[in-house]
Amino acid sequence: MTTVLKTEDLRKQFGELTAVDGVSIEVDDSEITSIIGPNGAGKTTFYNLLTGVLQPTAGSIWLRSGDAAVVGDGDAAGGDGRAGGDGGLRDITDAEPHEVAQAGLSRSYQITNIFEGLTVRENVRVARISHEKTRLDFRSRATGDEALEADIEELLELTGLTDIADTKCDTLSHGEKRTVEIALALAIEPNVFLMDEPTAGMNPTEVTEIVSLIRELDADLDATFVVTEHNMDVVTDISDRIVVLAEGAILADGTPEDVLTDDRVTEAYLGSDSV
Amino acid sequence: MSATTDTGDRVREFGAAVADGWTRERFGLLGAIGLILMAFGPSFQIYLFTDFLVVALFALGFNLLYGYTGLLSFGHGLFYAGGAYGIAVVLRDLTPVFADVVGAGVAPLVAFVVGGVVGLTLVVAVAVPVGWLSVRLEEIYFALITLAFGMLGYSLIIQDPAGLTNGTDGIIVLLGSVDLGGLSFRIGARRTYYVLTVAVVLAATYGTWRVVNSPFGTVCKAIRESPDRAAALGIDVRHHRWMTFIISAAIVGIAGVLRAGLASVASPGLTHWSTSAIAVIATVIGGATYFSGPIVGAFIFLYIRWAISRFPTLEAYWELFFGALLIGVVLYFKQGAVGGLLLARDRLLGDGADDAGGTEADSTDDSRSDDARTDRGDDS
Repeated sequence: MTTVLKTEDLRKQFGELTAVDGVSIEVDDSEITSIIGPNGAGKTTFYNLLTGVLQPTAGSIWLRSGDAAVVGDGDAAGGDGRAGGDGGLRDITDAEPHEVAQAGLSRSYQITNIFEGLTVRENVRVARISHEKTRLDFRSRATGDEALEADIEELLELTGLTDIADTKCDTLSHGEKRTVEIALALAIEPNVFLMDEPTAGMNPTEVTEIVSLIRELDADLDATFVVTEHNMDVVTDISDRIVVLAEGAILADGTPEDVLTDDRVTEAYLGSDSV
Repeated sequence: MSATTDTGDRVREFGAAVADGWTRERFGLLGAIGLILMAFGPSFQIYLFTDFLVVALFALGFNLLYGYTGLLSFGHGLFYAGGAYGIAVVLRDLTPVFADVVGAGVAPLVAFVVGGVVGLTLVVAVAVPVGWLSVRLEEIYFALITLAFGMLGYSLIIQDPAGLTNGTDGIIVLLGSVDLGGLSFRIGARRTYYVLTVAVVLAATYGTWRVVNSPFGTVCKAIRESPDRAAALGIDVRHHRWMTFIISAAIVGIAGVLRAGLASVASPGLTHWSTSAIAVIATVIGGATYFSGPIVGAFIFLYIRWAISRFPTLEAYWELFFGALLIGVVLYFKQGAVGGLLLARDRLLGDGADDAGGTEADSTDDSRSDDARTDRGDDS
């Protein structure tokens, strides 16, 4: 039971609109946490704050980082990190996206975001190069590092992409692209993996496949999974814990049974007029 | 009917056999022979081919940033001029100094080498701050700020506040004669300069090819495809673009050094936007997604321009032809000439032949593009 990700009173204001309104959450490494909520509840903004794409108006974000060498503004990490009393957590509030990723927080996107013009293998290679910090090496061959190629092979096998490894991504099916998305995020060996609607746009067969993949990966890997999802079957299927966001704030937080029988949750989803 | 298919099959078989025979080694050997034979060609053809090599390197450097990293610079003329002015100033002001130090015999050679290094250093020194500022912007804004930097360089060279660049006239570049005991030659002689250019351009091209196929270059391609995805994988996109900018400028700077010697002058026009546009046009015509695209594009650009110049009545309108050509390429030939060539080869030989000469292209169905005018091989 270790906290791997923590936000404190996280707030994001767009002019008059408060998209995220004081969210405090602690994610534990022993569970798959789902963050759900109706459209406009602030899920995507919340993800963008966590990953450094947006800067919060107020509040802080903390991440357990395996790698002590990286993280945003060193001063923030230094002073407050110890003051928080939780030695392993680092302040990533002001970090830029690439610093967040280096610190161990990886993400997948709701709208597939992969390197379409490259093959599956090249996609993963880019991520491994980033992870191995050899991106500025312009003297060696990209394909010349045997250890790196072995890592790529292993990851492709883990995600079931071996057969299409040398296919260019823009010719893949939607489901395959979604899997590449996951492979990319995993390739940097994150401590925390934020999945933004992994089943978006998938047909039922693909949904079943991706759900079992997520299960497998969660069992095999050290990464802690945080998932947002619209498909309620998937949510109840994979989650140990569900956090419900509504109008930027946490409405409910608990086990799937507790949360899904909560009247306030039903109301937020269906409106008070509905059954 | 059966006879036709029979003949077709035979032609196809023959073609496939020929294509199989074209291994990289044979291409290399043939290319080397071609380059040597070229040195005995008519003087003007040597000049034209040297010109092509220099423009090819210019476009190749530009394409590292455009085709590989996804940033369209409209100001790479600045670095072309930087290389040219670097060597021109050294040759003008320091040749007598070198003559005193190493003797008049080798002084021109020493001055040329030092001038080249100074030109390259100057370009990198300019590219570091210019790139740092430019990569803060993306897409059209990046194109505009690089355009602005290019034109700023143009104004500075013309205004000549430091008294170095000789204003609108530019600096005459005299390469001089080397005299090493028994051996004497003129660096600026067509054939000598051709051999020199071949050596430098080949080395620089190989260097660029290595960069493109390195971990660094792989990350460049990823940034081209999706910068925010790259960042989410821990890649410092801005820093990487900056480094690419500097390398790209350095390659263009080498081309600029060669240009000064070839044209015998370093003129302000080199940093005018219309010069920057040559790299853009050559790259687009050749195909930005292929390593060889800018080279083939430069070949087409220079040789079509030369062909047009043979008809004096048309010469005044040569830009019109490129306008039309560019419209054709952009509308129907998105992969450029190299893409068209590969498509034509696949069409003729079936899908058997392997990937030639370059990196990937978007193999998205370009089915209806015609393959006329693409029969000119990239044997250069």
